[in-house]
Amino acid sequence: MKRVLSNKWSIAVFVLPTVLFFTYIVIIPIFKTFYFSFLNEIPAAVKKGEESAYIGLGNFIKMFTPGKRNAFFPGAVVNSLVYAALSIFVQLPFSLLIALILAHGVKGESLYRNTFFIPVVISSVVISLLWHRIYKDLIPAIYDSLDLALPKGGFLANKSTKHMAVYIPNLWQFVGYHMLLMYGALKSIPSDVIEAATVDGASAPRMALSIQIPMIKPMLKVCLSFSLIGSFKLFDTPWILLERSNMDLPALSMYVEMFSNHKYSYASAQAMFIVFECLAFTMLLNYIFKDRDDRSLKRGKRGAAA
Amino acid sequence: MKKIVALVLALAMMLSLTSVFAEDEVVTLKVSSIWSAETEANRAPFLKTLEEFEAAYPNIKLEVEWYEANAWKETGETLALSDSLPDVFYWNAGGVLWNLVGSGDILPLNDYLTEDIMARMEPGLLVDMTFDGQIYQLPYTKAASMLYCNTELFTQYGVKIPETWDELLTAVKTFREAGVTPMALGGADQWPTNMYTDIIALRFAGDEACRAAYYKDEGATFMTQDWVDGMAAFKQLIDLGAFPEDAASLTRDESEVPFFNGEIPMYYHGQWFAGSLSPEMQQKVVAIKFPAVGRGYDNQYMGGAAEGFCVSSYTEHPDEAFIAAQFFAEHQSKNGYISGAGLPAWKYDFSEYTELNPVMSQIVEATSTADSMLLWGNTALTGEDATLIGTTVYSVLMGELTPEEWCAEMETIFE
Repeated sequence: MKRVLSNKWSIAVFVLPTVLFFTYIVIIPIFKTFYFSFLNEIPAAVKKGEESAYIGLGNFIKMFTPGKRNAFFPGAVVNSLVYAALSIFVQLPFSLLIALILAHGVKGESLYRNTFFIPVVISSVVISLLWHRIYKDLIPAIYDSLDLALPKGGFLANKSTKHMAVYIPNLWQFVGYHMLLMYGALKSIPSDVIEAATVDGASAPRMALSIQIPMIKPMLKVCLSFSLIGSFKLFDTPWILLERSNMDLPALSMYVEMFSNHKYSYASAQAMFIVFECLAFTMLLNYIFKDRDDRSLKRGKRGAAA
Repeated sequence: MKKIVALVLALAMMLSLTSVFAEDEVVTLKVSSIWSAETEANRAPFLKTLEEFEAAYPNIKLEVEWYEANAWKETGETLALSDSLPDVFYWNAGGVLWNLVGSGDILPLNDYLTEDIMARMEPGLLVDMTFDGQIYQLPYTKAASMLYCNTELFTQYGVKIPETWDELLTAVKTFREAGVTPMALGGADQWPTNMYTDIIALRFAGDEACRAAYYKDEGATFMTQDWVDGMAAFKQLIDLGAFPEDAASLTRDESEVPFFNGEIPMYYHGQWFAGSLSPEMQQKVVAIKFPAVGRGYDNQYMGGAAEGFCVSSYTEHPDEAFIAAQFFAEHQSKNGYISGAGLPAWKYDFSEYTELNPVMSQIVEATSTADSMLLWGNTALTGEDATLIGTTVYSVLMGELTPEEWCAEMETIFE
């Protein structure tokens, strides 16, 4: 058996079907979308008497050219960056705090852990409907009893509140997800390190800052990447909570351009933009973390030499 | 006597057709419909239509896929890209149909439509289903949006059912002062708001100007005082508090609940709404023409034949597919009207049915004398123009666009 599995040819035979299938349904469509984004119209949707032509970066330029009809996209990107910032600076620290507290050991640890994780298991549609009711029934009732005026049109329609109203359910839902990842990483820190720190008299905050957080850095990087990419791709909750044809986020804009406006190549260009945006930010994260790793490694070496 | 003879002949023809097919092999057709939800008024009648079809054509087997309306619109567009639309399918008329016709996905039906078939159809319904003289779709219903009034509430608050714009304003004010929300509106879905703006624009600008704009005819424009007046009138309704305070974040379903519960006196919506009224509500509600403005366009309606069945151009069995599409259209027209789901698009003697939805009958009667019927703006317009008329009207509802700005924004569709 071992001999069979170490044979490169047999590995290829076993892997090939999956590779072919994956190529067919994932890799080829990505390249096709990339190709479509440079056309004025995709071949299948060309009207009689017109033809699909190569227009270079035309679609990408149009995306960022201020104009009456296509001014939405830059705004959508800014909105997604705001959401990304909220995820990184509010959601992740909060998740980390909960993870640290739970890992420190509290009474009913697993109960808390599971409670925080429940929203992650629930489908986004259910979460959206749940928050829909909160915004429609609960909050107006509270406002009413306090004699406060609701924003015009309600939280989900008012321009100044609707984006935040959509971000909150998402932030809330995935706190548990990141918490669990961090909690798992914290729990896998060797106990002798923690014991040594305890013997040295480290307080809980000191231990968190100097030992636990540095030791789970790889996991923090994973959480950061997930929440960044998730922010750029955010679609389901806003699609359900906001009014139809809302184009305030990149994925919403892409969907509306594709399926309501039938501008397939223009929507492909927006899709490619989202892909490149995710790639760019993932690389940036890698760079930042790698830089730090290198520096701390160098510092470590210097310390050893001394 | 003549009728009986005609009936016997029709039966004989059907039987002979059946016997012809009995010798053939069984043909399987793929069919798509949009009535997946149990609450759809058209679902039960369509199930009956399918049953009738199976009885009449045992040699044509149907594989029916059920979708929700918006989901099918998007799925259908996507299937069209890969030339894999089903043999027979539901589709909207106007701009969305033109999209598929333009990419060669739909079979023209002229060669199949005999004079006999054409004579059974209500006249004038094929306007939005015909392009360059070719008929691409067969309607099963005609549409009309109406003002629904809950007479109980009108009596209770001593308000006259509005026949003119001023009476409408008085009604709105009176109800608002009494703490009753005057009109239902689900703005989050966008198109219910277009229902209101379409009819108000029609009353102020008239069928000709509206038709030219929605069909993007040469020289058409939104930059006239009539359009501004229409949108200003809509704005006036908003400012008087005609709609629920959170109208912009209500979906259509949510917005209709208070009307069903008898808490909202007025609602302007399509004829299908009459089909969702409970038997009890059918007795209390009347469907009337939208109030008159006095500019000479007061007997014009929004609606027309906007929904029907199409045959895809790449079907392997065009003859059978046409038979199915025609059968669906004609029988759904009958079954739909009997069950109160819609107005008939084909001639049929309904005199034996005594328990018809009274509200639906009012609509049939009112629209039978209509001067003209115009397809809704968001159905006649296509793609991003249709999206734009939805989003801009939503902005007016939210107070983000003035009537003048709305006209300027819509004018960009001609660029």
